[in-house]
Amino acid sequence: MTRKWLRWMPAAAVPAVIAAAALAGSLPASAGDPLPAKTPQEVLALMAQHAAPSLSGTLEQTSEIGLPEIPKAGPTSSSGAAAALELLSGPHTARVFVDGTSKMRVQVLDRLAERNAVRSGDQVWLYSSRDNTATHLTLPADAGRHEDVGQYKHPGAGMDGVMPTPEDLAGRFLAAADPATEISVLPEVNVAGRAAYNLVVTPRTEGTLIASVAIAVDGQSGLPLSVELKARGQSEPAFKLAFTSLSLEAPDASLFAFSPPPGATVKEVEVPAHGTGSRPGHSTEGGVVPDPAVPESVVPDAVAPESVAPDAVAPDAVAPDAVEVRPTVTGTGWESVVEFPASAASAEAGAMMSSDPLLQQAAVAVPGGRLFSTAVVNVLFTDDGRVFAGSVPAERLLTAAAAR
Amino acid sequence: MPNRDMATQELAARASSGWPLLASELSVLFRRRRTWAMLLALAAVPVLMAIAVRVSSAVPPGRGPAFLDRITQNGLFVGVTASLVCVPLFLPLTVGVVAGDTIAGEAGLGTLRYLLVAPAGRVRLLLVKYAGAAAFCVVAPLVVALAGAGIGAALFPVGPVTLLSGDVITPGEAVVRLLLVAAYLTVSLLGLSAVGLFLSTLTDVPVGAMAATIVASVVSQVMGELPQLEWLHPWLFSHYWFGFADLLRQPIAWDSFGSNALLQAGYIAVFGALAYGRFVTKDVLS
Repeated sequence: MTRKWLRWMPAAAVPAVIAAAALAGSLPASAGDPLPAKTPQEVLALMAQHAAPSLSGTLEQTSEIGLPEIPKAGPTSSSGAAAALELLSGPHTARVFVDGTSKMRVQVLDRLAERNAVRSGDQVWLYSSRDNTATHLTLPADAGRHEDVGQYKHPGAGMDGVMPTPEDLAGRFLAAADPATEISVLPEVNVAGRAAYNLVVTPRTEGTLIASVAIAVDGQSGLPLSVELKARGQSEPAFKLAFTSLSLEAPDASLFAFSPPPGATVKEVEVPAHGTGSRPGHSTEGGVVPDPAVPESVVPDAVAPESVAPDAVAPDAVAPDAVEVRPTVTGTGWESVVEFPASAASAEAGAMMSSDPLLQQAAVAVPGGRLFSTAVVNVLFTDDGRVFAGSVPAERLLTAAAAR
Repeated sequence: MPNRDMATQELAARASSGWPLLASELSVLFRRRRTWAMLLALAAVPVLMAIAVRVSSAVPPGRGPAFLDRITQNGLFVGVTASLVCVPLFLPLTVGVVAGDTIAGEAGLGTLRYLLVAPAGRVRLLLVKYAGAAAFCVVAPLVVALAGAGIGAALFPVGPVTLLSGDVITPGEAVVRLLLVAAYLTVSLLGLSAVGLFLSTLTDVPVGAMAATIVASVVSQVMGELPQLEWLHPWLFSHYWFGFADLLRQPIAWDSFGSNALLQAGYIAVFGALAYGRFVTKDVLS
């Protein structure tokens, strides 16, 4: 009897070993040397002065912003807004390759498909394997200003003579942000196997949907490794974008030499010299996941927090021409509400809201319009064509709309 | 009865080592009409697919299984598309038949006790039986991929192959990728084979073990589709089955290959141990 019992031992031991290994693997790996303590100002300066010349890594994005789940398989909706929503909802994995400031490749790894954005100098290719289409654009000479990749440069670059040090800038920024925002450095975290400072931005007001924004800043290079957006009343991060693996070595040069494959449909797109509309790096069709290496666009937004929310939710991503209309901002800091007056573009966006079944599901009818509500941003399309947006509770948008 | 002859030969061979036993197991497996019928059925999938695409008009992109629209441009894609189509049902079905038959088949035929006359033979028999099922896991995806590439090359032009990333590789490299896809599917099916081996030790009715194995693969895939069970998904043996698409990217994303191999190794360890526990304590009466 005992011998019989002994023979079942492996069957009991193996799952136990696997469970133990899984548990051990999920525990945070103990980092070697702890990072030297830094004040928020020093961490901001470290982030500002970083110049990652080249990197290759894998990014993972998860979001729980309360958008309807879009089926992974099946035909994708043709509308650009729905494609943007698809990128924002649900998990995504992307590989990023950067070599210097002018070469970059982003691959969004879909199930049995892939979307690519390749930039080499002023040549940009977008490729989607699902419908086998390639889009080509040539960036204007001054594109560096609008380019995400360009932002790797020192913030003071171009201002000859008086070039403020990153520490100065960080100090000034902190002073400007302080009344509305608390910025602190929490105990270090481990992202993609690297020790990182955990910089946390917390609004001081209760009148916003955003609970906190956490940015993990690599302790050695200053490269932002992850961005995590938390919404009020939600324990899971509303939006998280983080490196799962990262190497700071130069990727293979052949990765940036892209030519459209034979048989692909090639589209040429003209980029206006002073493109105020869609930024190449943010084209939703190309499927570029927002890069966590660009939290610069997140941090200074203590002044205008609505752009903390991924910009595709903002109406200007729905209709890029909308920027011609001057929006007005009411309220300050995290509680600001942006109003876009009635225009052709906003009407178009409103029409799309009510025609696209997917968006229809996402936007609920409220008195006086339709409300597009997520955990971190609310957008109100009024019946008379105006658009209100802000990281504020829906009631505030309704009040703002009623006040006019 | 040929099986009984085999068993006698195997008895003679046992004195030396397990290799002759393995050789006879493989020759029994691959001389069976049933095995050939299953491999032919698998090979028929790409052939039917290629002929259907050849005689019909152009497939618009984005319709049907992934890559289907690429077949007309490049015949080598038939192998990939056929692998894709076979992953959810046909491959698990055939592997379930082979793995479910391992022990229960011998028990059902009454040959199991002849195989077990020698002492300490049970562990070796279990290993040899699993190796036989694993050999089938190697052959089955290869048949699909190579039959696909062959019929594709016969019916469609063959040229540089476009990867998911939009990069283009030479036909030679593409064949290497195709073999990698077959290897990925082999690894993917090893866990299911271990489940089948364990189920096969539970019963003397081979059909029952086969059906249970196939049901296990279906249940695993259904659970993998339910968002409510998201916490469970990384532990399902079918979780990475479609990850072979990562081999068609440039550069190759090896992450899913590694995760898949680790997961399947876990299943082999757990169900191998269960099969061991069951088989060495079992009263073999037939």
